[in-house]
Order: sequence, then structure tokens, then C-alpha cells
Amino acid sequence: MKQSFIAISLFVSCAGSASAQLNSSIFGMMEARALGPGSMSGRITAIEGVEKDEGKTLYVGTAGGGVWKTQTGGASFKPVFDKYCQSIGALAIDQRNPKTIYVGTGESNMRNSVSVGDGLYRTTDGGDNWVRLGLDSTEHIAKIVIDPSNSQNIYVAAPGPLWHDSQHRGLYKSTDGGKSWEKILYIDPRTGCADISIDPKQPNVVYATTWTFRRTPFSFESGGVGSGIFKSVDGGKTWRPLEKGLPAKPYGRVALAMAPSAPENLIAIIESAKTGLYISSDGGESWKQQSATFNVVARPFYFSTLVIDPKDPKRVYRPAYAFAYSSDGGYSFAEASNEGANVHADHHALWINPTHTNQLFLGTDGGVFMSMDRGSTWMFMQNLPVGQFYHVDVDRHEPYRIYGGLQDNGSWIGPSASPGGIGVGDWKEMYGGDGFWVVPDRRDPNIAYAESQGGDVNRIDTRTFKSVSIRPQPGTGEPKLRWNWNTPIATGQADPGNLYVGAQFLYRSKDQGRSWERISPDLTTNDPRKQEQENSGGLSADVTSAENHTTIFTISESPLDANIVCVGTDDGNLQITTDGGKTWANVSANLAGTGIPSQAWVSSIEPSAFDRQTVYATFDHHMYGDHRTYVARSTDMGKTWKRLESAEFTGFAHRIREDRVNKDLLFLGTEMGLFSSLDGGASWFRMKNSIPWMALVRDIQIHPNTHDLIVGTHGRGIFIIDDISPLRNLPGELSGRDIHFFPAPPQTLTTGRFGGGSVVNGGFAAGNPPALPAFQYYLKDRLTSGVVKLEIHDKSGKLIQSLPGSARKGINRIYWNQRITPPKTAGGSTKRDISGFIAPQVLPGDYVATLKVGTKSFTQPVTLVHDAQSTFTLADRELQHRTAMELFGMHEELAKLVADIMARQKSYTDSLPKITRAKDKRRMQASIDSLEALRGTLVPTKQTSVFADEERLRERITEVYVAVCNNEQAPTNLQLARVRELRRQLDEGLTQFAKLR
Amino acid sequence: MKSIFSMLASVLLFASASAQSVDEVIAKHIDAIGGRDNWKKVNSIKAEASLSVQGTDVAVTLYMVHNKAMKQVINVMNMEGYVVMTDKEGWTFMPFMGQTAPEAIPAEQLKAGVDELDIQGDLLDYKEKGHTAELLGKEDVDGAECYKLKLTRKSGNSSTYFIDTKNHYAVRRTSKMTANGQEVDLTMNMSNFQKLEGGIVYAMTQENSSQPAPVNFTKVQVNPTIDPAVFQVKK
Repeated sequence: MKQSFIAISLFVSCAGSASAQLNSSIFGMMEARALGPGSMSGRITAIEGVEKDEGKTLYVGTAGGGVWKTQTGGASFKPVFDKYCQSIGALAIDQRNPKTIYVGTGESNMRNSVSVGDGLYRTTDGGDNWVRLGLDSTEHIAKIVIDPSNSQNIYVAAPGPLWHDSQHRGLYKSTDGGKSWEKILYIDPRTGCADISIDPKQPNVVYATTWTFRRTPFSFESGGVGSGIFKSVDGGKTWRPLEKGLPAKPYGRVALAMAPSAPENLIAIIESAKTGLYISSDGGESWKQQSATFNVVARPFYFSTLVIDPKDPKRVYRPAYAFAYSSDGGYSFAEASNEGANVHADHHALWINPTHTNQLFLGTDGGVFMSMDRGSTWMFMQNLPVGQFYHVDVDRHEPYRIYGGLQDNGSWIGPSASPGGIGVGDWKEMYGGDGFWVVPDRRDPNIAYAESQGGDVNRIDTRTFKSVSIRPQPGTGEPKLRWNWNTPIATGQADPGNLYVGAQFLYRSKDQGRSWERISPDLTTNDPRKQEQENSGGLSADVTSAENHTTIFTISESPLDANIVCVGTDDGNLQITTDGGKTWANVSANLAGTGIPSQAWVSSIEPSAFDRQTVYATFDHHMYGDHRTYVARSTDMGKTWKRLESAEFTGFAHRIREDRVNKDLLFLGTEMGLFSSLDGGASWFRMKNSIPWMALVRDIQIHPNTHDLIVGTHGRGIFIIDDISPLRNLPGELSGRDIHFFPAPPQTLTTGRFGGGSVVNGGFAAGNPPALPAFQYYLKDRLTSGVVKLEIHDKSGKLIQSLPGSARKGINRIYWNQRITPPKTAGGSTKRDISGFIAPQVLPGDYVATLKVGTKSFTQPVTLVHDAQSTFTLADRELQHRTAMELFGMHEELAKLVADIMARQKSYTDSLPKITRAKDKRRMQASIDSLEALRGTLVPTKQTSVFADEERLRERITEVYVAVCNNEQAPTNLQLARVRELRRQLDEGLTQFAKLR
Repeated sequence: MKSIFSMLASVLLFASASAQSVDEVIAKHIDAIGGRDNWKKVNSIKAEASLSVQGTDVAVTLYMVHNKAMKQVINVMNMEGYVVMTDKEGWTFMPFMGQTAPEAIPAEQLKAGVDELDIQGDLLDYKEKGHTAELLGKEDVDGAECYKLKLTRKSGNSSTYFIDTKNHYAVRRTSKMTANGQEVDLTMNMSNFQKLEGGIVYAMTQENSSQPAPVNFTKVQVNPTIDPAVFQVKK
């Protein structure tokens, strides 16, 4: 009675709290599956190691994937910053207290796609817990330096915001371990601090570089009067510029390095009208220019890393476009070979193990590489899944394949499931360059479309990866085509034969890009002031199509009507045609009342699958310094708009996705998170179910067959939430319910999709989706008292299986392997018999699943069906089942026989001391020995090692039993004959035991 | 399987809180799991438990004597193995894993295991025991809002407890173990809290990240007499 009372009380209490607001916990066990891959990794921005740990403990900061920690010198990594901003600019370890690590968020490699940060963080327990220390508005942090003599003194170099003026930039210092901060070097609202070095022998001697820079959506400028090199000899209280021997100003970005073992030696790469390498041997008081290779001085705004060996002041490393090193203090440079691994271009971080200075860890645009020979040869670490996807797509293969393009890492294809799990080798690069849209042809399973930056669109054979350029060309009299760096490619949702690409005009092909039709006028503002990209770069020309502007940025054909096509541009136009391109309506002016800025990029458009008039769109205004989340819906084809808002939102918006079954189920991806709404956008919650809370979510797909949610991130690769269909029924069906047991759809009998051996090894490996459908139930609250279990009964009511369930809030899942409970097998030996873990699969038919939650029960019928398409016929299956059950029965008979023998042996042995007559004693012992001899024919009795096989009747039954249970085929003739023989042997054992009575 | 030790110990300690300071949170937690007085009387425990893997049952019996010894007996398919740990030594014997004789528990694991011998729970009178506690804020655990509380033991080992703000039970504990010089994270979830003899509250279902299925306790005896011979190992 008492137990029941407790359970009932619980449910009453749950009902009382039913009004709790929806949050990510509703997903319960619907955790995301991290797919990686580690094959190409992503941009690394910082690497720091614990000096006393001989290179075993390192922290790796990434452009969009947070912070990763290894305690194994790179053999394995784990993410330690998943609840916070994922864009990392700098790391610093307090080497006096090496569990204290500072993380500066906001990468400072100021390319067009760079993300933003939200301040400085610290952990004091090696990454388990973090606190934010401030500097929230700096947006970008380039370097953090801790005074080696006093851990309370911390310097933070903040270049500051990229897209707007700000006073939140410069060099900051804390003298109280991060509690408070003082800005100790500030030039102007356009100039930040890009680098800092501290003299380890005289910590009051500090060098800093300042940098004037600015991006607009259509230009970049590095350099200005504020840029320079400064020195302080009083810990940053006062500063003076260093100029003697240096080139004439203005400067751009300056990379500065000090030789730790001889800190009067400095090297600087100074971006200027003639960018060059300069060396000082007197603490920066005077400088000399040295000759420099292309690699040393190329693209200084992007390559700002310069490192000198901790022990050898002459050994200088310049990780940049390629990896260069000097053994003469920077007078001359050589470049690394590509033996071992082809080192990815574009380097941004280097950590030298101070204990073994031959060992280097290099951070590139394509992950971490490790060298054991000072950079001559490298090994790639394939276990960092920090790929920066721009877009992802899926096809209808079985299992389906995922397509995606990545920053500086081309266009890739990989499976959603693979034998042993999805390893790095399962992913293949189908096209090079920077990758963006990769779109499968909706009709031809062997064709996909991919591109590199600036509209280089190709049709690719997915079997061979041979590509054909299909980029539209301007016609006679037409202007130069303006292709966005991230040029949109789309296929038709209503007419899968349609292929679209957009420059300033929209093009459509109906024959896989063999011929094109221009179906629009210029859909952009065509503002000539935004078309001067050839002047981009500032002091160093940098024209890579990254600043191309007044271009089409997103294209969507309505799923309901191929004549409805929506186009968004990077300069704020949202254009809709309802007649297949004959006429266009620019509806962007209708957004004016929503608060969405007129020039914001239209980052995605989602025409509804339920209503021709309804369309969703996201807008990105961060290139004007505005990070707010803009998403809106129109229900009248763009005439009027309603903005969808939530206090939960963070980050500028990239993608809105409407579910194709439940119109109220929406997903939103932003620069800082993945959000979901179950009520048509009225309320939203952040998704945290094994997805980094602030993930840079660039794209979202929902697979039409598997109902998987596929999320492409710019820094953490791909995540899949397998089968989100329970969410489609949640809002209406479950309102007010504490517990809900979802109907169980028919299950096809199977032993799983794959065979094979152990899981894939080497590099990051993702798990496969469950091989069988789940029984799903919903708990409104976490169950505090009582247990959850699932019982399966056959149609006669016999209990055939009982499985434990989870008590967590939200959707829970229990997987039944479609088998009964395994047999009780004979014991008494020293070796485990595997049959005790294997059971026959059930036959097709009707079963009843009973969910027990505490004292409450819920039932759902479930039908198991035979796969009619299989070569394994129903007759085969029935024979297999009969045979398996016969062997099952033999195992249980044998178990009983052995137990009876041992019981009698024990009885005799217990009696032995009580027998006084020697003759009787001998007779009793003989009986014991006879029983043991019989037992020795039935189960192993001599072996003492798992490596010593001792085949007895139990093992012989097991061999056939396991084979029959696990085969998806009828038993062979010899297996059937063997069953008869084993039956005879078992009968013989039973007979012998009877005789021994 | 040896992590059942840590499960059990943490279960024993769990209780409630809903306050601001770490001591208030711990005090409410202790009250929720039966109160300090009741727990101070707990000197031994014998518990029976099982876990089921697709219908195959694994039976577990636990013996614990406060601050002295623990033994976990595991029965798989008629084969019996065990883990024994005292304040001085530890042994495992897992014949179903191929072991043919008891094997000594490595020193660094033993060091962590010795902390678990405090079956009254390391949050109880934590200051007197030389431990320190820190409240790290609140965090969601499987849909339950929890206080996040970090306990650093006198030994240097630490665990983080997640204490439900509503009922003040500890529903999760994460711990760090050192194995071969590397830190290993362990997570244990607890549910199905039941009041036992002596007034203490016990998590009858425990799910450890290293185990294939949750462990369900079916019978827990408080302060039984346990023969010291139970902990002796035939080497």
C-alpha cells in the first residue's frame, strides 16, 4: 500500500506541473548523432599545450567548433566548450596552474565568413566548467598572454568588431586574475590590437601591434594610420611606437614574434605598401629588413602567425599559405615537404612542445597536423570533426547519402550509415576549392551539382567524380555576371527536373545544365557603389570573389507549384515569381514594418508545403554590425510579413525549415544555435540534445523517407537527429498528458542492415542509426519514483520479452531486438556460453507491447511482418524458427540435466564424511566420479582459460544454435542433420543419468 | 561493473536543496534523503540488484561496511565474479571476462575507490571530512532543473552532483577517474527513489555510462550483519 501511495503521489505531482514551458528536454532520448566527419576537419585558430605535460595535454581552438582537449597528445580529443560561443580567437594556459585556461571568443582571421565572439571565458578545472569574465563586446580576440611571473596579470589583444566602428577594441589588462579589466592601449574606433608579446625575463616589457581594418559586405580594407608596433617597459602603463628601421606608414596587420630564449630578438612581418620581414636584436629599438619568400609575406591579414622555437632563437616558423621555417633567425626560409601528409594550406596556429621541440602541432584551414621532425613531415589528425559546412543536402539512396560544401575544403559526399559506423574513409571529396551548395539531382541518382567560390558550378558524376562546368555565361550585350562567393544552386521541389543557379539573373535548366534559360531580369539593387571589388584588400590587394555583391544568394521553388520561385539577394531584395519567371515581384519593401533592415542579406527562403501563399524567410544583417535574429513569415505571397521572435534567439539567421508533415513544426538555424518551434513560430526553444548550444547552424534538411533532421554546421560538421516523427504529434495529441505511449508502426523482421566485424578504426567515427524501429513514449516530467519497462506478449498472452526503459523527460525510446528471452544454458564450467545471450527471432504476427511506468500500464499492438522482397522466404523463416526453438529447448534440457547432476554430486559429497565404512565410501566416491564423467561429456570441466577450447555437447549445440538464430536463411541440410544428431547425444546423456540413479 | 561501487555510494548520499548557498543546498539534499541522523546510523548495507540486457539477467549483490570494505558479487549465467575493495587493497575476479584468478586493482583506481567506502555519503558532514564543495549554478538534467554542485574530496578526487531543485534528490553524478594517467569521465544517473528502513531514501535505479543497462535494486538491507570473511579474497 505504501509503495502504491508513493507512486500515485508522484503522478499527481506531475500533473500539477504540466504547464512547464517547452524546452530542448522534450527531445528526451532523441539525441543528435554527430556525423563529423574528421576527414577534412576545419579551420583551427589556436593551439596551446601544458608545458609540464610533455605534449600530452593540449587545447585546440577552432573557427566554429569550440574548444577541444586532448590528454593523449592528439590520439583522442573531446569538446569542452559546447555550451558557449563556438568561434574561438585565442587560448592561454596558466602554466603555473595548468587547469586554468582562458578562452577568447571571436576568431581574428578576418576573412569574409569569420564568426563573432561574446567575450572572454575561464576554466579552473581543465575545461569542465567555465565562467565568462567580460569583454563581451570585443567580438574578436586575437591573443591572450599571462604574465609568467604573476598569474593575476593577463593581457588580451582585441582587434574588435570587423563590420563597424567600436570602442570595444584595443589591448586590455587585468591585474586581478580577470575580475576587472583596464584598456591599456587604444588608438581609435577603427583600430584594434592584433598581437602581443611579453618578455619572459622582464615581464614588464610588453610589445603590441595595432591594426586598422574594416569590412563591408562588398569590400575589405586592411591598413590605416592607426596600425603600428608599440613597446611598454612598465607593464602597459605607457607605450611608445617602434619605428627605427621600419617601413613608412601606413601599416596593415603586423605579425610579431619574440624568441623566448633570447627575448631581445624580435621578428615582425609588416603589411605595408611593400610588405616585408623585419628583424630586431635589441628589443625592437632598431630593425633591419630581410629578404622574404612569397609565403612569408602573402596575405598578411589572414596569415598572422609567426613563432620562434622556445629553445633555439634561430629557429623561426612561419605557418601561412604554406609552412615555412628558417634555421638562421629569419634570414632565409624553406618549406615543408608533403611526405606523410599533404599539409592543408592556410595556417593559423602553431604550438611547439617545449620539452621536445622537434614536436610541432599546426593548425590549418583543414585541421591539426603534427610533426615530429620540426616541420619537415606531418601527420594529419583525423579525429577532430570541426568541418565548416555551408550547405547540406540528402538523396534517396538506401541508406541515404549526405552532400555538403565546406569552407576551404571542397564538396563532399558521405553515407548516413555504413558497416561498422561511418568513418573518415566513407567520405569522399567530389569537387575542390571552397565548397558551398552541393545538390543531388532529384531524378538521376548518379548526378550531383557542386561548385567552388564565385559561381564555378559543375555537374558531377557521383560514381567517378568527373565534372563538367555548367556555369551560365553572359549573352551578347549582357553585363558581366555577378556571382556570389556562395552562389546558390537549387533543384525544383515541385518539378524535380528544374535546376536553378543565380548570378544577378536567375537561370533555369531542364536538362542538367546542358542548356540554360535566363528567367529573370537583374533581381538585385544593382548598386554600382557595391561593385568595386577589384579595389578590395587595402594595402594588400585581396580579390577572391569573397566580396562580390549585389548578387542572388538564395533560391527556392515552391513544393506546391513549380511556377512559384522565390529568390533572395545579398543586398536585401526578396523577389517572387508565380509564373515561372515571366514576371517578378520585389516584395522586400513590404518587410519595412517588421524592423528587418532593408539591406539585410536574404539568407534563406522557405515556401510552405501546405499553402501556396505562405513563405518563410531569414535575414542576415551582421555585415552591418547587427547580429539580431531576423526571421519572418508571409501568408499572402509576400505582401505582408509577420516577424517571428523569441527571447531564446541568438545569432544572425541562416536557415528556416518547415516540416513537411506538421506545418507548425519549424526549425531555425543561426550563427549561434539551432531552434525549434512546435506551434508555428509562436514560441521557440534552443535545441541542446547533443548539439552544441551555440552551434553555427548553416543548413537544415528533413529526410522525406526516414524523417531524420540533418543539420549542417559551420564548425562542427553534420548532426543527425534520427526520426523526428514523434515531434509531429506532440503539440495536439499530448497536451495535458503526463505519459503517452506512441502507436507502434508495423516492423519488418530483420537482423539489422549491416554485418561485418568491429567498428571502424582510425579517425573520427560516427555511429549508425538504430537498425530497428523504437517503441516510443513521452514523459511530461522526469520520473522520480518507480521504474519504466516494456513487456512484449505474443498473441496467446505469453510474456516473451521484458526490457528496461528510461525515466527521462520527453521522448524516450526502447529498442526490442525482435527476439524472445535467451535460453537458460548449462552452467558449471569455467567458460561463458554465448547462447545465453542469443535468442530466436520471433515469427511474423501480432504482438502486444505493454509500457509500464510506475504503477500505470499502456498497451499498443505491434505487428511484425516478413520482408516479402527478401530472398529469405516465409517458409524459410518458419523452418529457421522451428529449428532455432528446437535447439533452444535442447539448451534448456541440457541446463536442467547438468543442474541435476551437480545437485546429486553435491548431495553425495555432503554425505561422504558421514559414511564410515570404507567400502561404502569407495562406492559413493565412484558414483560421484561417474556423475563427473557424465558431466564432462556435457559441458567443459577441465579448461581454465578462455583461450582453451573444450568442446562438449553444450558447445556443439551452441555452434548450430547461434548459426541458425543469426542467419537470415533456412537452415542448411547439414545443420538440420546435425540437430538430429545432437538430439540423439542429449538423449543419450539423459539416459545415462537415469541409469546412474 | 566496478563502477557500481561509485553508483551505490553516490546513491546513498543523495538528497535535496533549493537554496542559494552550497551549504543550504547540501542541507536540503540531506534532509530529502532521510536526514543526517538517519544516515549517521548507517554502518552497513547489503543490496540485491539486477540488470537486464535484452532479456538476459545479470544478478548483483553488494556488501558494504562503512569506511571499511565493499564487495560486489556479479552472477552471469551461473558464473560468479566479484570486485572487492577495502581501505587497503582491491581485487577483481571476473571469470566471464576470462580471468582465471583474482587480479589486483591498480593503485590509482583503488585510490578513487577508497573514497566510495564512505557509504553515508561524502556530502554528509563534508567539511568535517576535509572535503570542499562549490555551487556552480543550475543545469538541466533530462528535463529536471538541478543545482550543479562540485565536491572536491580530501583525497583530491572530485565529483559533480546534480540535485533536483524540486525534490532535492541527486539525479546525476559525474566523476573523474584516472586510468593510466588519463582522466576518464564517468556519469551515473539515478531515479526511482524509495524510502527504506531507517528512514533513508535510496535511488533504486542507477544507470552508469559504462554499463549496457540500468541497474535495478530489488532489496536493500540497512545495517545487516556482514561477516568480514565476505571481503576476504582467496588468492
